[in-house]
Amino acid sequence: MSFIEFDSAVFSWPGSPRPAIRGLSFRIDEGEYVAIVGRNGSGKSSLLRLMNGLRHVDAGSVRVDGLDAADSANARALRSTLVLVFQSPPDQIVSTVVEEDVAFGPGNLAIDRAEIRRRVDEALAVVGLEAERKSPPHFLSAGQQQRLAVAGALAMRPRCIAFDEATAMLDPPSRQAMLDLMDRLNAEGVTIIHVTHDMSEAARAGRILMLDEGLLVRDAPPEAFFAKDGEVLESFGLPPAIALARTMGFEPRICETAGGCARLLADSIGKGLLQRPGAATAGAGAAPGGAIPAARGVGAAIDGAVASGAIPAARGAGASGAGAAIGGAGAGSNQQPPAPAFSLERLGYSYLRGTVNERRALSDISFVVPKGSVVALVGHTGSGKSTILQLLNSLALPSSGRILAFGRDPCEPKADLRALRMRAPLAVQRPESALFEPYSADDVAFGPKNQGLSGRALVERVREAMQKVGLPYENYRDRSTRSLSGGEKRRLALAGVLALDPEAILLDEPTQALDPAGKAAIMALITSFAATGKTVVFSTHSMDEAARADMVAVLRGGALLAFGPPGEIFGNNYDEAWGIGRPWAAQVAVALADLGVWSGPTPLDIATLAARLGSRLEQGAAGAATADLAATAADLAATAADLAAATAGSTAAGREAPR
Amino acid sequence: MKDLQFFANVSIGQYIDSGSFVHRLTPVTKFFGILVFFIVMFANTNVTGTTLLGLWVLAAALAARVNPLFLLRGIKPAMPFLLILSVLTLIFQSGTTGVALVSIGPLSIHLSTLLALLLLFSRFAAVLAAIGLLTSVTAEQEIAHGIEDFFAPLGRFGFPSHEFSLMIAVALRFVPIVTGELESIVKAQASRGGDFGASGINPIRKARSYLPLFVPLIIRTLERAELLVEAMEARCYTGDERTRYTTYEMVAGEGFVRLGLTLFMAGGVVFGLYFAKTLP
Repeated sequence: MSFIEFDSAVFSWPGSPRPAIRGLSFRIDEGEYVAIVGRNGSGKSSLLRLMNGLRHVDAGSVRVDGLDAADSANARALRSTLVLVFQSPPDQIVSTVVEEDVAFGPGNLAIDRAEIRRRVDEALAVVGLEAERKSPPHFLSAGQQQRLAVAGALAMRPRCIAFDEATAMLDPPSRQAMLDLMDRLNAEGVTIIHVTHDMSEAARAGRILMLDEGLLVRDAPPEAFFAKDGEVLESFGLPPAIALARTMGFEPRICETAGGCARLLADSIGKGLLQRPGAATAGAGAAPGGAIPAARGVGAAIDGAVASGAIPAARGAGASGAGAAIGGAGAGSNQQPPAPAFSLERLGYSYLRGTVNERRALSDISFVVPKGSVVALVGHTGSGKSTILQLLNSLALPSSGRILAFGRDPCEPKADLRALRMRAPLAVQRPESALFEPYSADDVAFGPKNQGLSGRALVERVREAMQKVGLPYENYRDRSTRSLSGGEKRRLALAGVLALDPEAILLDEPTQALDPAGKAAIMALITSFAATGKTVVFSTHSMDEAARADMVAVLRGGALLAFGPPGEIFGNNYDEAWGIGRPWAAQVAVALADLGVWSGPTPLDIATLAARLGSRLEQGAAGAATADLAATAADLAATAADLAAATAGSTAAGREAPR
Repeated sequence: MKDLQFFANVSIGQYIDSGSFVHRLTPVTKFFGILVFFIVMFANTNVTGTTLLGLWVLAAALAARVNPLFLLRGIKPAMPFLLILSVLTLIFQSGTTGVALVSIGPLSIHLSTLLALLLLFSRFAAVLAAIGLLTSVTAEQEIAHGIEDFFAPLGRFGFPSHEFSLMIAVALRFVPIVTGELESIVKAQASRGGDFGASGINPIRKARSYLPLFVPLIIRTLERAELLVEAMEARCYTGDERTRYTTYEMVAGEGFVRLGLTLFMAGGVVFGLYFAKTLP
């Protein structure tokens, strides 16, 4: 008998016409580590809720440890055997003190108080929150809150913990800590079920189940899972290592770290075929094809360059790289610099100024956002990213220093803040939670109406904005905002911002908690908006997304640590102490450099990395007169960008049209 | 709406741990203290009684090492209402007996009216200070537990003291959640040119202009409540018998504090009802 058994399970949410789960059968044994992947709305969350009896099947059966999960009498036994950890950290905290929250679950089992204390001590030790045991949970960081949720789960002494996208809202270090914790618990025999959108997280599991529209469409260990081709996979994004292997035409291998991947690469390619440092750079610069378009992360550019035999120069650290990126702000570097959209001079900001709880959020921030550029803000939770965006939007006014938005100082007594805000509107985190009209087009019209538009002009503006985000006006105007999917709601909210026809947009973690297709759509939106010469400032926890900006601002504890083009930030100027990590491709290149088989500019996306590796192969092969390899290498490189561009999650694709 | 900040002027609900003796009392004693305050306040409606009560709150604040001025911060946002109330009092209480200080047409301001207003302000300030003091010395979880313990004796008569305390605890948990959501929604709409409550004097239009705030706020609050319910259910909460993690031990001398409070209550009531009548 298996630990968890689904037998032709069918389930619909109340009021929903379509079943969320349509005849699902599979088994999970005790001690397994299983990842569950699938688009938003594919039935992943329903699945978990069926397992611990929060929801009951309409037909078929679900058994956990032999217990019928649809029988309410088993609820308590089920929920202490299989515990859920949810996506949003603050929404699963019940108590106002850390240790008491951990005790909530066992307390509900009405067991002895001394035993509860033992369990609380133990659980807090496992997740490393002993020092915070007396603190109020809302003073913890998101990562700590999520570890608190795990502690609360552990205190139930469960045999299985199911994580429902529990890493989606965490910054990279907290995310890593959470993944390590899952590994450790699994090593101790706890069954782990991890629902995730991130394919490299899924690849850590021993087995991956993929759901699509309530059906199980694939069930395999990671290597076999990713080895198979399939249309479905591409819209989900691939783990970067797999994407690279596919691009290069190698047998896909799962490797957990970029360093491991680099070692595999070095072995697979053969060190002899790769140029030694120094030799290759000249080749790269003077490649046939003449002018080399800097890789702009857009598939088409790479395709063209590779097809004509040119080698796309890694943008960034190289001479051509500094400015060329999404917006192409640096393109005309010979002309006079464009007027800044925003300039910040020694900017400081404190929350709750003049109270005992005053908290300094920013100090001494100075940088300039040129018109038409794309700037990414990166840094841990609480590093000041959101605060900067609010200052740029004049929602907050500086406590010290000066800020100019389009040459205007919002602190001037006569400043028209409302007009200023509409010139560079801010999409707050989860902007879809501010949707208020029952019908989609009406909500988009809110902004332009406030600008005084009406009649035809208003409709035209709304139509245009909805078109830009890929929600055609004709099909979506009368759709109820509540009926849209998560990704569609996010895009509708962004349409509401674009409808102001602004000069700049400010986006606070625009891709947070979206599935890979949703993320790709948002990044494509940024690209196309910037292509019209407008300014974008966005914050993100993904370095792969940040690498697609013209400039990256690295923040920590309210201070600006670095500001520069991504090629520099993630290249030569990179500092481990920032604690932000690099784009995956850059990590591999750095690891390859450590192995002595890489030199030159640091690539920021997989397409560039693959193309450069391909060109090394070509040159090396020519040198060694291995004609065979040389011929295939060119082919490989040609398909490289193509394949990599489709890996929405981790590469810089962006040409995928929003649905 | 210049700088959008939501927590600046609220002193209620801001626990400040100075580690004083008052802080270390069990929540039941603290609740008893606030109950005594209200009983004495209702028994004393004149200047002398209110002054004594104010001094008592001041003494308690000093014993708890909480800055009394901090406790009065909460009066600032209430000022407009108090002022309107004052104006109304001045208009409608004009022409009562006593010496008129100023007379403007049919209006005359009397010394007794001014005194009544002063009393109103003082009593309001005393209430704010007392509640502020309670929340300054009582951590959030102690409030919920305190309520549970305080009403526990009523459990014998079927009073659901545990459910009641959980209700309070969840309500308290939702204060920052709702404030946070509101802040985010206000910012999102302000960014799109939203200008709330400013469009003319037509009350229906005025109310409509708030829809962009309240519709999403209510939806989000319900959504988050649902998430919290799910998280609680997933952790085996059923509302049945459960073991509480935290228990409170009385600190040394706490019995005397309770005795003192009881005496103060008795004395205050007797003073207010029988002796203070002859005083101003």
